[in-house]
Amino acid sequence: CVGLSSCKKDFFNRAPEDAITLDNYYQTNEQVANSTNALYSTPWFGWNTKSGWAISEMASGNGRSYSSDVVNFGNFSVTGDNFELTSAWNSLFTVVAQSNALINNLPDKVPATVDPAVVNNALGEAHLMRALAYFYLVRLWGNVPIIENSLDYVDNYQLNSNPVPDVYKFIINDLLFAEANCKKMMRSGASSAQGHVSSGSASALLAKVYLYMQDYPNALLYANKVINSGEFKLYGADVNGKTFNDLFHTSDNNNEESVIALQWAANGGYGRANAMQASFAYNSQITTTGDGWGVLGPTFDLQDMYEAGDLRRKATIMLPGDHYDDINKSGGGYTLPADANSQGTHAQVKKYVVGSPADNGGIGSSQSTGNNTYLMRYSDVYLIKAEAIVGAAQTSSNPEALAALNKVRNRAGLGNLTSIRRFYQVPNAAYNTTTNPNAPRTLTKDDILDERRREFAIEMDFWFDLTRIDGFNASSHPRAITLIKQQDRGTSDSSTPPVRYGNEYRTPTDANFLFPYPSTETAANPLLLQAPVPYNFK
Amino acid sequence: ARTAVSTNQNGQYSIAVPSKTATLVFSFIGMTSEEIVVGNRTVINMTLRSTATNLNDVVVIGYGTQKRQDVNGAISSISAKDIANVPQPSIDQLLQGKASGVTITQNSGAPGSQTSVRVRGITSLSLSNEPLYVIDGVPISGDATNKSTSGRSPALSQNNGATGVSPLSTISPNDIESIDVLKDASATAIYGARGSNGVIIITTKRGKNGTSRIAYDGYGGVQEQNRFLDMMDLKAYANLQNALADVYGTAKRGEFADPTLLGSGTDWQKEIFQTAVMQSHQLSISGGKEGTDYYISGGYLKQDGTVIGNDFDRFSLRSNVNGKVKEWFKVGANVSGSRTNQNSVLTDNTGIVYNALLSAPDNAVYNADGTFAGPLANQIGGTINPVAQAMSLTNTLLRSNFNGSVFGDLQFTKELSLRSEFNADYSWSDALTFNPTYEWGIFQNKVATLNKLMTNNTFWGWKEYLNYNKTIGKHSVTGLLGYEVNESTWGGVTSSVMNFNSNDVPTLNLGDAKTATNSEFRGSQALESFFARAIYTFNEKYSVTATVRRDRSSKFAEGNQTGYFPSFAASWKLSDENFMKFTKSFANNIKVRVGYGEVGNQGVPNYLYGSALSPSTTGLGTGFTVDKVPNPELTWETAQQTNAGIDISFLNSRIDFTFDWFNKDSKNFLFQKPLPAYLLGGSAAYSTAAVISAPYINGGNMNNKGFDFSITSRNFVRYKFRWNTSVVFSRYKNEVKSLATGIPFISANITNGFLSVPVTKTVVGGPVGEFYGYVVKDIFRTPAQLREAATQFGRPVENSSAGTWLGDIQFEDLNGDGVINEDDTRALGSPQPSFTYGITNTFSYRNFDLSIFLNGSQGGKILNALKYTTAGLASLYQNQLAESANFWTPTNSSSNIPAPKSGTDNPNLKMSDRFLESASFLRIQNVNLGYNVPSSMVKSIHLSRLKAYVSVQNLYTFTKYTGLDPEIGSTNQNVFLTNVDLGRYPIPRTITFGINAEF
Repeated sequence: CVGLSSCKKDFFNRAPEDAITLDNYYQTNEQVANSTNALYSTPWFGWNTKSGWAISEMASGNGRSYSSDVVNFGNFSVTGDNFELTSAWNSLFTVVAQSNALINNLPDKVPATVDPAVVNNALGEAHLMRALAYFYLVRLWGNVPIIENSLDYVDNYQLNSNPVPDVYKFIINDLLFAEANCKKMMRSGASSAQGHVSSGSASALLAKVYLYMQDYPNALLYANKVINSGEFKLYGADVNGKTFNDLFHTSDNNNEESVIALQWAANGGYGRANAMQASFAYNSQITTTGDGWGVLGPTFDLQDMYEAGDLRRKATIMLPGDHYDDINKSGGGYTLPADANSQGTHAQVKKYVVGSPADNGGIGSSQSTGNNTYLMRYSDVYLIKAEAIVGAAQTSSNPEALAALNKVRNRAGLGNLTSIRRFYQVPNAAYNTTTNPNAPRTLTKDDILDERRREFAIEMDFWFDLTRIDGFNASSHPRAITLIKQQDRGTSDSSTPPVRYGNEYRTPTDANFLFPYPSTETAANPLLLQAPVPYNFK
Repeated sequence: ARTAVSTNQNGQYSIAVPSKTATLVFSFIGMTSEEIVVGNRTVINMTLRSTATNLNDVVVIGYGTQKRQDVNGAISSISAKDIANVPQPSIDQLLQGKASGVTITQNSGAPGSQTSVRVRGITSLSLSNEPLYVIDGVPISGDATNKSTSGRSPALSQNNGATGVSPLSTISPNDIESIDVLKDASATAIYGARGSNGVIIITTKRGKNGTSRIAYDGYGGVQEQNRFLDMMDLKAYANLQNALADVYGTAKRGEFADPTLLGSGTDWQKEIFQTAVMQSHQLSISGGKEGTDYYISGGYLKQDGTVIGNDFDRFSLRSNVNGKVKEWFKVGANVSGSRTNQNSVLTDNTGIVYNALLSAPDNAVYNADGTFAGPLANQIGGTINPVAQAMSLTNTLLRSNFNGSVFGDLQFTKELSLRSEFNADYSWSDALTFNPTYEWGIFQNKVATLNKLMTNNTFWGWKEYLNYNKTIGKHSVTGLLGYEVNESTWGGVTSSVMNFNSNDVPTLNLGDAKTATNSEFRGSQALESFFARAIYTFNEKYSVTATVRRDRSSKFAEGNQTGYFPSFAASWKLSDENFMKFTKSFANNIKVRVGYGEVGNQGVPNYLYGSALSPSTTGLGTGFTVDKVPNPELTWETAQQTNAGIDISFLNSRIDFTFDWFNKDSKNFLFQKPLPAYLLGGSAAYSTAAVISAPYINGGNMNNKGFDFSITSRNFVRYKFRWNTSVVFSRYKNEVKSLATGIPFISANITNGFLSVPVTKTVVGGPVGEFYGYVVKDIFRTPAQLREAATQFGRPVENSSAGTWLGDIQFEDLNGDGVINEDDTRALGSPQPSFTYGITNTFSYRNFDLSIFLNGSQGGKILNALKYTTAGLASLYQNQLAESANFWTPTNSSSNIPAPKSGTDNPNLKMSDRFLESASFLRIQNVNLGYNVPSSMVKSIHLSRLKAYVSVQNLYTFTKYTGLDPEIGSTNQNVFLTNVDLGRYPIPRTITFGINAEF
């Protein structure tokens, strides 16, 4: 023979020696079932680490920061060059891309020997993840391109965005598919088997999406469907011996209240572990891993939201002198020092702060913890139900709505409301003619929104509430602007109690309710800046 | 009949001659041979003159050699003496300014770091534009990041910085005999698939017949940082913090209430830069006798970094032995080994230099108790103590390398011989980063982390080639027919563990096993080739060369694996023609050359034609993400190059001049399609995990046109005084001719200090990696100016972080539509130089010699991206350039520096021409003064030669660039991000004293 090529046939066939090729996987039930694992972690990393909370907590007025990368979310001056904005876009579209890969590959690659129910369940999960990513995308940027198969556009990648109603329609389609194909589940205890989403998770998310569309009958229909199924339970209400604070412990990952949650591996390394605590923890005494930068400080406005006795306050924000048994467990707990004031508001974040590796089973490192991130919790479904019943009314004493709202309040240690009032005025307790004259004399309150804010603060949700309360796909936002205008997002001096400067009251414009596309994307595709085109549904 | 003898050490010889008519031929390498008829004499003393020209020098052309005067292609050669006694650890660094047509930039001044070598411009948009190095027949890719093999550097980084390490830094420059740079395609086509970026052939030393010698070459010296940035002192910093406190709505700091009372604070640059020592020793033993020659050497080099915590050392061994076993059979073996060890703490770009520049002058290096200090509580965004990092963090890379080749030369007949050669290269490395426990102000780490990366790479190659040489009268024919096959395999293991009880011994076994993680990678590739070359010369006047190579590579899918690469070249020695006789009076040699060739490029990762699943750890167990979009159609990139050159020797070879013009077209170049993130996902929060890689495609055409020339002139030779000058000059113009359908342009982004900004755009008709952005018109100084200006980025005119206000940058409304937006960006200049040059002047008088080497680059722009952070005026607790203190205020209204503004994404920091600076520089690269101790003196101590010298490397740089060093190179050799300064380790000044001694 002349040359090796004819002697040895495979000499030039160098398939990967350290990876499974696409053609060699998805061969068994287990492989197909596990094929969705990654959709719950890595692709979401960028969103989870910083951009998610930087956008939703800072723009909504829950937190403030002078860190130069995120400060402009709090004062409504973000540009397309913002690193975290780009991170959010890139991360969410990574979720879309990996979901699409699975949706398009599975039907081709799976042999007939695999149980169709297993395949359908995996496809359902991928559809739900894609829907959820688009749900975030459409709420952040409005018109975005709908991609069902990346490969369709590889040759010609410059395309227009699609209009908001089409994106919502696409989301609903995906969720209906997920609801029909995902396994039904009945949750009990905290178990990683409950880490994957279920048909019920899709129903719950459908309720939320319909609420955003102001389709109250459907929102109520799906909320009731979830509640009546009995799949999920509330910690501290339906599950005894557990409290609201326990929801955020690593050991309580995938509990009965968890509807959709990201699944981090503490030893997965950067990109695969939860890195939120690094930004939230006041200092590295809490984390012991060199991180803990206190980048986000709860605003005075958020602090004022909690009335005495609300169990959620201490589980959400730390005030100087607060003692926590769940941090520094072996050393008798952790007390926030009196001078803790990383962002000028004399408060730090507690939610998602889980402490040292030793506090979490010995595993974890800098920017790496293993606690889940909730993308939806069961209490959301009750609050959706209440809101769907009240609908457009200004007040309501509908017993079902009250029961749903009070279920969430009771679990937080608060008493019952007897009527639900929306957008009403109360005097502002923080107003003071001499020390805080900049504060508004009256505040606008909303029983449902305020409850949602207290319940989901630091869970990347409240900003989206603000974007929707003026109507579906609205271009003018008077109510939201009213609510934001009254927020004290400023700092104070260091006396006890601190005297507020009242130096940051922000008034957004209607345009601020959507973010600019990342400049890296408009640079690659200027068509994004043109008007959207209707999506051609298949 | 012929007989031969060699002289002894003193130059004496004796020879028996058959008759008086016998002719003695005296010859010596580098000298002109002389012939003398013996006649009646019994003592014949001969003094040989050194060769007037280098035309008789032997040039290595790939699978063979040729006399320089017979060469038809464009080849630059560098000999050992051109690079002797220059204190550079690596060969690629030594080539700078020495060969025409080669543009070299050092990507970092860090010991052991890599360079960007461009032979005649940017050929490819694929991952690497580095040439192929062939060291004694063993091919080594210049790609410092191994992108076409394992896809990862052997080094680790703790700060996401550049990790490339020079693949050439394992070789001792002292062992090199000659370097030949094959520039045009007619020369490189014999390397086919890997020749498109040029080929640099390195030949190591061998013993010379009839001699034996022991040589010691050594130097020692110091290196120092000769340029610092003028950063704010404490007073200016306090003023800035007060101004920023207003912008950010935070309380002013009490201690800064009256900045005039403050001292100057910590000068962090002084703290991290040091005067560092460097030393090199090399001992070699060489000789040759009766057909056997040997060269054995051992070397040691140690270079401390001018940034604390950095160092590099290397041990190297080499043994080159050749022997004539029979008249018809020669064998030889070259064996070398080396071990390098480098410590780099944090790697370039956002490393120690970066942290030092941003560290606040009110922070101390040490606490009162001698421990390292750090920013205080609540100083979120403060910079970690860079001195503490340099002294406490570990990032080491230990590389070991074994390289060998054996060959046999079988002479069948006088004309026909067969060469069989087997090469192997085996290397392994051990990289380690250790992040110990520490408490530096707000930065506390109680969980020490160790990361390890161990790699091993094996290369083997086997060659068989037939050589045919025949001269009949005026006809001379050389033929070559060969076969070659080689295979590379690589693999590695990464592991990490945390929770150490002590910081003293960072090994995997001492960490907490529960925290251990590990991963592995491995792969291989193969290349098989047939090649042929024929050279026909008539009357030493006309010559043609034709080559063809067929390569089959495992890089591509079956059906697309094979490529053919032909070339053709011809030369005509014009000066030998009768009609050119009139030129003889001033030009003794005129030769013109033309050539054309096609060469390939396969420098892309493996298995791009299929998709695989990347494993990733999740809370649910192992998950898989799809790694890429495959392209089964992927195939060779081809570069077509035309070359025309002329060689002229003037005034009896007092002046040698070589000029080459070239036109290089790369078609179907291989590159990764730049797709927006909405298709495949994108890097987020510094992680690219789960992002689907865009497909590689054969994507368009690119052209490089240019010329290069070299002049070697012996200006003055009289009264024991000699003055020689050599000049090399290179110029190319790079233009993208087309991009694949659907790709209107390629935009590239930098990520730095919380910014993700598109900074370059590669468009058809423009050069690769051209800077792109807004044009600054002015600063808003008056309300009228604000009223009349175009609306910027949809922002209202108001005094807020969301508005446009006095003190902000006013951008040019390029399209005149009354609004400033994306449509008001344009090309701002190319990072590529108009030309680069090197000028070497050598003088000698009696026993002294002096050489002065200037190296320069003219034209091109630098993006001073460091200024986004060092002059951004947007972050609390970070120090800034002193000049930034002069920012605009209502009372300082003539300033051109915008007022502080909240957030690093504020429009004042948009990519604009205010961050671009001229990249031109002229560097006094090396000055070397030597003294040859007279032989009468050295003989008494049994030395045959002794030279002492002093050398200064990087003496001074003439430049207008305001950063630390105008020589930037590319970020990880990425052509789209050339000349982007992200806080790179500057090149130090080095002063050394050395000796060359021979026994």
